Amino acid sequence: MSASEQLPYVIAPHRFAVGFTRQTWWNWRIGAAFFFGEIGAGLFLVSLLTGQALGMAVGYLIVVVGKNTAHLLYLGRPSRFWRAALRPDRSWIARGIWATGLFAISGFALLLPHFVGVELPIAGWGQSLALAVAAASALFIMFYDGLVMKASPAIPFWNSALLPVLCLTYATLGGATLSLMLTTLQGGMPLPALARLEHWLLVANAWLLAIYILRMSRLEPAARQTVHLLLRGRYRRAFLGLVLLVGMVATLLLSRAQGHVAATALAVVIAACELVGDFTLLMVLLKSGLYSPQMAAKSG
Amino acid sequence: MARLGMVIDLRRCIGCNACTIACKQEHGTPEDIHFARVVTREVGTYPATRRTFLPVLCNHCADAPCVEVCPSGASYIRLDGIVLVDREKCIGCRACAVACPYMNRHFLERGLLRHGYSGDGLSVLEAVKFAEFEEGTMIKCTLCAHRVDQGLEPACVVTCPTECRFFGDLEPEAGRLQSLIREHGGKPLLPECNTQPSIYYLDGEPRQA
Repeated sequence: MSASEQLPYVIAPHRFAVGFTRQTWWNWRIGAAFFFGEIGAGLFLVSLLTGQALGMAVGYLIVVVGKNTAHLLYLGRPSRFWRAALRPDRSWIARGIWATGLFAISGFALLLPHFVGVELPIAGWGQSLALAVAAASALFIMFYDGLVMKASPAIPFWNSALLPVLCLTYATLGGATLSLMLTTLQGGMPLPALARLEHWLLVANAWLLAIYILRMSRLEPAARQTVHLLLRGRYRRAFLGLVLLVGMVATLLLSRAQGHVAATALAVVIAACELVGDFTLLMVLLKSGLYSPQMAAKSG
Repeated sequence: MARLGMVIDLRRCIGCNACTIACKQEHGTPEDIHFARVVTREVGTYPATRRTFLPVLCNHCADAPCVEVCPSGASYIRLDGIVLVDREKCIGCRACAVACPYMNRHFLERGLLRHGYSGDGLSVLEAVKFAEFEEGTMIKCTLCAHRVDQGLEPACVVTCPTECRFFGDLEPEAGRLQSLIREHGGKPLLPECNTQPSIYYLDGEPRQA
């Protein structure tokens, strides 16, 4: 009953037909929520490590406002959103809700003294605890979307332990790029160490993505079909053009000049290129997810 | 405890979709939502072609990924093995639909329950049946739990003209379903997903003793 190795590349036109079936449940709203979570938490963590309060605040707002709004807009019954936190023992979505909640509280406790001048009564160990919780929850949010997608056994292309790692490196890259842009917008020179980190992350992401695609191209037919969609099929232009060319090659080439000049426009263009690549990757991952056929499409 | 399930003999299925219609009638599902359906495949090369059929429904898996990923606890497994959705708890995140390898979860979009099949308001049947649903939540095959609780068989089973569906308890080793599975080489769909489905299919020759 399992899909045969000789399946032709056929997408079922409807649910009464045999073939691979496209995942259409998670749409651009979920893509936006994942994207905001990745870059917001990445920016928060990178800014926390480099001591940039503005970056922490922007990252915090991207997660708390952007990610949560996108999630609420997606839900069928948004008024029951709190129910999503009820099963952290088994659901990655519930764990994500807890992480986002902890991030919102601890991040608020960390940022309030910086911007309002109000000292919360949690000085000393309380502040250290808030710092640790904020950092840990931000780290979790960075690879949360990879964990949520990986938890679905139905879509072989997502069912890989490499996916959360890929999300983590993309989130770190997004955070580093946005942090460099904010520094430049404030009139400062980009931190050389951060600029180097950005270069290495771009190279690392390219390697990880190549390994991921290569690995999937040797797995079961549904994963191979997704690879086909990305490299030669329906999502070829988005994947090769926006994810690889704009998100990686253009970002890398432009960022090589950034360590030497503090051009505001250049920093904005680099960040735009990287973010376009990041968002497009999430969208093509969601859209190209395929279910396996329940019976072989071609046989004697 | 019982584990309710079904054995479907593909050699008997003629693809009439009577099960599809009986299910729609029983549950009154809105347009384009089918808890039971018959997937059709054409095999061979012209002129030597034929069609084969695969009736599908929720597999009521013992290790159901839809239940695992549900963050609100709306998806649950009854003591008799039937996988259900509590509409009061469902938040409409659709994680269960993404996780189901058998694509047997359905989402009630906003506005779907406001118009019927005719597009001219709800019929009497739709007005009654749609009241059991809630927009923005997930619905799925219930294995006709309301009928089972009354000692009846699911609608798709009783309506099948070729009697290709066998409903009952999968637990007893000497039971009718286990005997059919054992003697005719019954197999579940997509066993590689490790979901332990409760729906088995017979498509081969009887096994020799």
